[in-house]
Amino acid sequence: MGGSETGNASLLEKFKNLDFMKMDRRTFIKAVGVLGASLFLQTYKSDLAKALELSETKVVWLHGVMDSGCTISMLDGGSPDIVEFLQVYNLKLLYHEVLMMQQGIFVDGKLANTSELNSEILLDEIMEREKGYVLVSEGAVANGPQGSGKYLMLGGRPYKEIYEKVAKNASVIVAIGQCATNSGVNAAKSDIAELMDPRGIAFTMEDSSKGIVELLGINTPVINIGGCPAHPDWVFLTIGAVVLGKIKVPDDLPYVLDQWKRPKVFFPPDHVVHDNCPRRGYYDRGEFDLTVGGEKCLWKLGCKGPYSHADCGTRHWNGHLNLCPMAGSPCISCVEPGFPDSSRPFFVEIEKTGIVGTNISTIAGVAIGGALLAAGAHAVRRTVMKRPEDEEGSAEESTPEETGGEK
Amino acid sequence: MMVQVTVDPLSRIEGHYRINTEVDGEGVITDAQSNGLQLRGFERLFQKHDPRDAALLSQRICGVCPVSHGITAANALDELFGVAGEVPKNALVMRNIHQALNFVASHAAHIYVLWGPDLANPAYRDILAKYGDVGNAVWKELSGRFAPLIYQLNGTSYPAGSSYLGAIEEFRRLHEAISLIAGKMPHPVLQNVGGVVYSPTVADIGQLVGYVSKTMEFIEAITLGVSPDTWIENTYRATSPQKAVNFVIERLQELLNNSLSNNNFSHSAGWGDVPLFAAFGSELIGEKLLGLPISMKMDRAGAYKDPDKIGFLSYGVFFKPEKGDGYDPTSPADSRVIPSGYMNGYFKLEKFDYSKISESITHSFYIDEEKDRPPWNGVTVPEGNPENIDYTRGSESRYSWAKAPNYNGVPCEVGPLARMMIMGEPLTTGLVKTFQDNGYYPVNNYTRMIARMQEILVVIPELLKWLTQDLQAGGKVAVHTDLSMAANSKGMGLWEAPRGALGHWIATGPDSMVTLYQAVVPSTWNLAPRNSQEIPSPVEQALIGTKISAAENALGVDYSNPLGILHTARSYDPCLACAVHTIDKTGKHPDYTIRVL
Repeated sequence: MGGSETGNASLLEKFKNLDFMKMDRRTFIKAVGVLGASLFLQTYKSDLAKALELSETKVVWLHGVMDSGCTISMLDGGSPDIVEFLQVYNLKLLYHEVLMMQQGIFVDGKLANTSELNSEILLDEIMEREKGYVLVSEGAVANGPQGSGKYLMLGGRPYKEIYEKVAKNASVIVAIGQCATNSGVNAAKSDIAELMDPRGIAFTMEDSSKGIVELLGINTPVINIGGCPAHPDWVFLTIGAVVLGKIKVPDDLPYVLDQWKRPKVFFPPDHVVHDNCPRRGYYDRGEFDLTVGGEKCLWKLGCKGPYSHADCGTRHWNGHLNLCPMAGSPCISCVEPGFPDSSRPFFVEIEKTGIVGTNISTIAGVAIGGALLAAGAHAVRRTVMKRPEDEEGSAEESTPEETGGEK
Repeated sequence: MMVQVTVDPLSRIEGHYRINTEVDGEGVITDAQSNGLQLRGFERLFQKHDPRDAALLSQRICGVCPVSHGITAANALDELFGVAGEVPKNALVMRNIHQALNFVASHAAHIYVLWGPDLANPAYRDILAKYGDVGNAVWKELSGRFAPLIYQLNGTSYPAGSSYLGAIEEFRRLHEAISLIAGKMPHPVLQNVGGVVYSPTVADIGQLVGYVSKTMEFIEAITLGVSPDTWIENTYRATSPQKAVNFVIERLQELLNNSLSNNNFSHSAGWGDVPLFAAFGSELIGEKLLGLPISMKMDRAGAYKDPDKIGFLSYGVFFKPEKGDGYDPTSPADSRVIPSGYMNGYFKLEKFDYSKISESITHSFYIDEEKDRPPWNGVTVPEGNPENIDYTRGSESRYSWAKAPNYNGVPCEVGPLARMMIMGEPLTTGLVKTFQDNGYYPVNNYTRMIARMQEILVVIPELLKWLTQDLQAGGKVAVHTDLSMAANSKGMGLWEAPRGALGHWIATGPDSMVTLYQAVVPSTWNLAPRNSQEIPSPVEQALIGTKISAAENALGVDYSNPLGILHTARSYDPCLACAVHTIDKTGKHPDYTIRVL
């Protein structure tokens, strides 16, 4: 990513008084596209410096039913990395199963040692004494069998009970990754899905009535950072914005979050992965790969990029280096609430199969219906070889000097 | 007097896990149960779906080793589609590279982020303090290198260790390398039936070599204290196991000669993390052979006492590029760089035969009329009555969501130690023999960890060879497949994850849709409950007989700081999200409707 130095300087000037979490998506995409994520963060250095003057914010990080992939993804974050993230926002991480010295220790069934070595004592202390912390939720909450929550037990108690107590005293819940936001792979349709009954935090798949917060009567506001895994920038910048007061919780949430409680800057309602796909040119010329391993558009191999509301195309992953379609794989839309059911089969062209498992009468259906209309428009355009600039809404931000050019 | 000591949850692993032990008045563990704490129900996701989804979706079993699940699934799909014999060599080399980067990253994460912090446990401060300046200097190194991100000692926050933080940086770097050719990490997108989806450019290859070179700088300065080339030349490439062991011991002796006078055990004095651990981790090497006053006695813990009840298993990993296109899905030993094989409890090597794998469910929360089943016939109905989900009813009961895999009826340790022994890697083999000759159980927490460190040094030169000699930029990376090729078929993927043997089994019906999907994963092997013959799992056997507190109860018995459990259980690199899975009985339940718009 680049842009000339003078270009950067004028853009820095332009962006420096803007609130990055409240930027509209075009401004945001321009800022990140032109500056790159590191420079983008530099732009907010003074805000970050202020964080050190703020009182410490405590963070509790819980792991439910998941594969730890989001913790790994956070360790892979580079701008900032997880240690810088904690430092610059003046965060005190109280509890994180993978990053702490402690573990649960019981002697003859009784808690032993102190909170410096025993995570169960630490957790009890947090539940008794702490309030107003940020709760980072990774993983779904097991509700089965029969509402007992016993499909995940920790320290002799259902995780569901721990979650209820910790969530009620948090000031905000930041649910990270698809298991937490929508129950993800855990809730995929199957003949034992009902028995297992894993719940996302505010939604289970597209259903908000089945979120664990609804079930347990937890009123703490929820911010969802989807993705399988979640991108570390999405998580760190969102928590940063909350800590810096750039997002007032809960007052600003209706304006900065979409209907799935995701920050619109990262999951723009009117922008999809397809819009900034490095293989977009092949799509526009109607050139498609029919076998993997090529370099053309992956639409006919099942790419869901046109349905996926995320900024992967401008942000890229792991040091802002790559993204799935750029590496030759169809996008599997791992950020959408119905994932994985709504994306399957992964390798079959959508126009041949429709979208599996969705219901047009639900809100999700409307959203995907909109995407289908867009795909229809694309198909027409492909037929008549219309120029992409003529597509509605795409002209304004697609000029090379504003987006930093093609990667 | 018997005391019950329970670790629940065991943190710094992947997933959720509990260990319960009975400990006698001498502080020796006499019984143990290994409990997988969560039901994930993963393999059922594949039922009735397009089998090709498995190469991406099965990665969601594990966020630490998604690469291994992706490749194993792709291997199973190759056979399912009947193309295993034609997969282009370049694709096989790409699978090797992808997996090798994951091996190095995952081992680094385990050694430094998950396992290492226990070396900064305050029990070692107290033990080492008894040995004056030497002891205090060693404690300074242990705590200064391995303290984790969240650590309070005596009420004040303790800064995270230098090696710990450095390893996270290398982990991130290696994941960037994976992302370069595989889209993103975790949950990369490279693997596919018939090959891989990306053919690298010359620039990619150069960049990958650059990433590996940077990581080798860390290994030299922080991990080994000598250049990786010197280490590899004298250990992995040593002409005999004894020469490999001699090299290490001579190196340690040299370091000690320089440091015992000034008590400088720092990195700058040449004490890489491996030498520090190699000297102070072992009673035999440190105290008896080098004459140190004190060690952590890791070689006394985590051992198997009955050779008839344990085996060691490797499915084999990394295709040999010189074999050209295609491969044999049954994984004969001579077709993989790290070979397949079975070694019994007496260290006798046998040819690996996949048909000897079965899983028991007699102590797991599943319902089945059969006690043991091979993966091809795998069945699992999870316990649905909350009353019956109880981890506290002892060794006779059902007590885990993990099943108990067996090879020819015997529980097996899988992972780096098994692989390095089966491969005949000189340093590992030499250490095993050294312990045996000196009256120690040769498999213990010390050899288990040294083997993991050593495997990094075995993989890196191979990785560089694949990158610079075998990989062809822009070469063919996939054969064309069509869904109809998977009709009424079966496929088996045998491979190795960083933490051990990984197998996927898949079958399809006439419409090519999945009728069976089964994964038998490393932590199911290592951290199972008892099998149907009541034989404890590897970790249970390793715990029984181990002392509960630090360095063989050096400061007396402290049930409240059970380092014997922590070191032993974590030495297997537990990955419980992998280990607790289930598939439902094929055809037992009515079809659900897939609504298509």
